[in-house]
Amino acid sequence: MANFNIDAKKDMTYDAIVIGSGISGGWAAKELCEKGLKTLVLERGPIVEHVVDYPTMNWDPWDMEYRGGLTPEEKKKHYKNIRSGWVGKDTEHFWADDAANPYTEEKPFLWLRGHQMGGKSLLWGKQTYRWSDLDFEANAKDGHGVDWPIRYKDIEPWYTYVEKFAGISGEALGLPQLPDSHFLPPMELNCVEKHVKERIEKNFEGRNLTIGRVAHLTQPHNGRGQCQNRNRCSRGCPYGAYFSSNAVTLPAANATGNLTIRPYSIAQEVIYDDTKGKATGVRIIDAETNEVIEYSSKIVFVNASALSTAHILMNSTSNRFENGLGNDSGELGHNLMDHTYRVGAIGKIDGFEDKYYKGRRPNGIYIPRYVNIDEKTKSDKFVRGFGYQGGGYRGGNPANVDTFGADFKDNILKPGQWEFFITGFAECLPYHDNKISLNKEVLDKWGQPTLTIDAEFKENEKALNKQIQEDAVEMLEKSGLKEVMGFDKEHPPGYGVHEMGTARMGRDPKTSVLNEFNQVHAAKNVFVTDGACMTSSSCVNPSLTYMALTARAADHAVNESKKLNI
Amino acid sequence: MDRRKALKKAGLLAGATIAMPSMFSLLQSCKSETRLDWQPEFFTEEEAKTISALIDTILPATDTPGGLDVKADMFIDKVVAHTYDAEGQKYMRDAIAEFNQACKEKYGAIFPELSNSEKIEVLKDAEANSPKFNPGIWGTSVGEQEPVGFYRSMKSMAIWAYFTSEEIGENVLSYDPIPGTYEPCKPLSEVGNRWSL
Repeated sequence: MANFNIDAKKDMTYDAIVIGSGISGGWAAKELCEKGLKTLVLERGPIVEHVVDYPTMNWDPWDMEYRGGLTPEEKKKHYKNIRSGWVGKDTEHFWADDAANPYTEEKPFLWLRGHQMGGKSLLWGKQTYRWSDLDFEANAKDGHGVDWPIRYKDIEPWYTYVEKFAGISGEALGLPQLPDSHFLPPMELNCVEKHVKERIEKNFEGRNLTIGRVAHLTQPHNGRGQCQNRNRCSRGCPYGAYFSSNAVTLPAANATGNLTIRPYSIAQEVIYDDTKGKATGVRIIDAETNEVIEYSSKIVFVNASALSTAHILMNSTSNRFENGLGNDSGELGHNLMDHTYRVGAIGKIDGFEDKYYKGRRPNGIYIPRYVNIDEKTKSDKFVRGFGYQGGGYRGGNPANVDTFGADFKDNILKPGQWEFFITGFAECLPYHDNKISLNKEVLDKWGQPTLTIDAEFKENEKALNKQIQEDAVEMLEKSGLKEVMGFDKEHPPGYGVHEMGTARMGRDPKTSVLNEFNQVHAAKNVFVTDGACMTSSSCVNPSLTYMALTARAADHAVNESKKLNI
Repeated sequence: MDRRKALKKAGLLAGATIAMPSMFSLLQSCKSETRLDWQPEFFTEEEAKTISALIDTILPATDTPGGLDVKADMFIDKVVAHTYDAEGQKYMRDAIAEFNQACKEKYGAIFPELSNSEKIEVLKDAEANSPKFNPGIWGTSVGEQEPVGFYRSMKSMAIWAYFTSEEIGENVLSYDPIPGTYEPCKPLSEVGNRWSL
């Protein structure tokens, strides 16, 4: 593969600038480049070239000096990230440096960031689900937040468009609340998962258990290899078998010859020209030299991730926008949402002792939303709904086996007890007072203001979580599991890593930041298509929707540009 | 934490009042002799011997290698030296001291110097009195986790060190770094031991 053009010295002017190279930024770059626009991608961190820059991709535990453990220095660097439970020696280089990039938690909030080319597209969970009109109409129906300016029919062709390129595997179910994607063959359920599926579908009308719909290739696709079931995704996949900007969209953008990607470029602000009435470029700080540089463009896509995007816009002040670019409504930085996380049930199951599996399938099961989907399933305890992820596996902590010595050792060399768990993801309502704000007291390594995050789950989310746990215990018990244990880690927002809503789309400029094509209402050549744009949170994973909205917005941007409207 | 609490957590206090040596250990009157043949980075010689003796009792060599064959003790020393902060190191040091103190009170010697049968008695008691680990999902345990105490923590570390050693991970457990296909319901007899990865 050709190396990326990182020489942004020759040209200070581009047709388009994209801030950020994660899931949505990568898509923006691909679409804009393929439509012939000279595009500059500004990336805060280093270049991570597919395969070449995946140093840990083939490491076995014994290849790491401390078999995955981090030193106290590394733990200090990741003192917030490690709360997630995911940061080990194999991936720590892809998690942002918390010490250099501080943030203030007014209330507990875990903000997980990926400061490198590809961003969190290297680290994400790959669960990919279409949203439905149940989601797009939710705000209008129950009166929370503002109405989405789009409906399913507006985004449906763009779902198909991005799915065909990205490659999504899954099983078609024909459910109105979880529309089917354009699928590659589904991954397979193991025998315990099949057993639980049969029991749940028999015992609970309207509930389904299916294999997770994921951005993993189950067959070769567009020149990329299929999943080899190593489950080492977050280190970078040598086969390009899961969707990341690094493996999929940025190489496509690069192939056009129109892409320049500038690493170590911290976007400080979008430059707005009061006389022209539009944005004219982006001002950056070079993270290595501290040099401040301005790049010009006709179109700016802000895809820095939900909180960072709002941060950049809040930092972008002018005579016209004293409180941040596009913030006429006062909603910029507000309505922060995430999904609830790690609440569900786990149990053990007998009867499958002679069965095992081969391969580490990087995917689990999914139970689509079944509450509040129609009159019959309406809850009087909460609005909106939840879905579950989970899975069955032979686990059992060998340290819990209550013996030791020779027989014990022989015993633990054998696979452990079959276990099965489900964990819910509940929709979070958009609350104006769940917000971020600029903090000029706490500065980052580059002397820039940081963010204060002030958000919490409220009564509706707590009621959803209560139902998630009760239903989970009931489903597992009725599926023949034993020692079923309900749990709720009571994680604050952030743990779901689905931050959304801080520059929401809407029909009315008085109550929203973006219009129906993700344009800033009052600066139409500025587009936001990452999590910041989301008007509600649904209960399903949002990344596929970011991809589709981005492709749609890029198409609109180019059309409007051709018509000289922006 | 006061010493009494620590001992209780390690499971060494409850039922430890009768210090009558068993018939077997009376017959085996000589104490075990141990000498350290490696240089620890963190542990004192006495601590290192204690860890080695614990690992050897929990994971002895049989027709498969034991914990000491794969240098689990040396690895744990390295992990404590390089991945624990000062507080964690102190906790480890204190826990080993408490554990040995309890052995002394009951059997008159620190753990590595006990006879095999005494070691087994100590660990049986610890096993019976140590809380267990809660199940975990996606990198963290769920539910209210009681502190499991020194014994079960060390047992867990020993198993981790053992399973993630190259010898056990590649040659004893079922090892397949690039499985290719996922076979969802395979007869266990066609796999054998648990997967190492």
